[in-house]
Amino acid sequence: MSGAAKYVWAALIVAVMSHLAVIHAVPRVFTGVAISRLSESGFNAWRFAPRVTPESRAIVRPSPDFAYSACAYDLSDGPVTIRVKPWDGYWSLSLYASNSDNFYVVDDREARQGAVITLTRRIPRDAEDSGATYVRSPSTRGIALIRRLAPTPDAYAAAAQVARDDFCARLSG
Amino acid sequence: MVRRILAWAAALLIGLAIGAASAWAALEFGRSSFAERYGGWTHSRAAGSEAAGPYTRAIIAREGLLALSAREALYFTMSADENGRPLDEGCIYELASPPLATRWWSVTLYAADNFLAQNTDHAPSVDASRTLTDAGGGWRARISPVRGQAANWISSRSARRGFTLTLRAYNPRDDFRPSAEALPTLATISCAETP
Repeated sequence: MSGAAKYVWAALIVAVMSHLAVIHAVPRVFTGVAISRLSESGFNAWRFAPRVTPESRAIVRPSPDFAYSACAYDLSDGPVTIRVKPWDGYWSLSLYASNSDNFYVVDDREARQGAVITLTRRIPRDAEDSGATYVRSPSTRGIALIRRLAPTPDAYAAAAQVARDDFCARLSG
Repeated sequence: MVRRILAWAAALLIGLAIGAASAWAALEFGRSSFAERYGGWTHSRAAGSEAAGPYTRAIIAREGLLALSAREALYFTMSADENGRPLDEGCIYELASPPLATRWWSVTLYAADNFLAQNTDHAPSVDASRTLTDAGGGWRARISPVRGQAANWISSRSARRGFTLTLRAYNPRDDFRPSAEALPTLATISCAETP
């Protein structure tokens, strides 16, 4: 009896541990897949997504009315500056940590002139004096996403033009 | 000796299986506990909400990875007609909506595979910027394989059976209260005879 009991206990302990491991891993694995797809040609650069059509198969349930830009960021070599040019209509910038948490969002209601933020792991002491807007990322890697409302081909082409001036890169120095 | 090794291996495998299955079951149960129904629409409070713990975070990641926060946008999904039947390309539907208390909204049709229907009609959605409304701000949209005389149209051509509609409500105003009456209502106009 005691011989069988130790196997039952072992199975139970493994069950609890693997249960917790799966729950812990799900958001990280899902976000990790998205980060690796978006960083195929490198980190810290915007990728302007093609207009959503019936052939689009990258993300499930995409909205055909938006122009999306995504930047997979990596802060291991220092802070990354993100600049979003303003857009005539709804736009928003959302930041997602590697565990999927949406830790920051700003839209055109708050930032009529566009947004400029410095994304960092640690807010510097002189942050208030510098005049820059620092945002602390909970993880070294993550995803920045811009949505611009562009429901027509013309609006989409205009959004593509504006998106050229967006910025997601490490400032040297 | 061999028997003992096998017993340990079996315990390990059974433990792993129970752990993985119970984790998945917890996420499934958690998903339904986040669902709210308004008429034919289902809204998940999980998508875009703040993660309060590891379970909530896992549910959110499954439900709406990279979704916007609820302050920015609310998402509603419809998968059945007013009689509970799956939405079907062989039927003609009409959505009738009161004015929506949001800055912008859209309704998009997705085939059962969660992507846009494979057609070239360029009408996968209707949205606030392009929809003809009545004097009071209400609107109607036809969901059918062929446009006909519809002023506002979502093409269901090649959407087959089991397609869904997603309503996005961007920058909901403070007085936006989801309810069966405040959201669009679906009515089946007709269905083709099934062979």
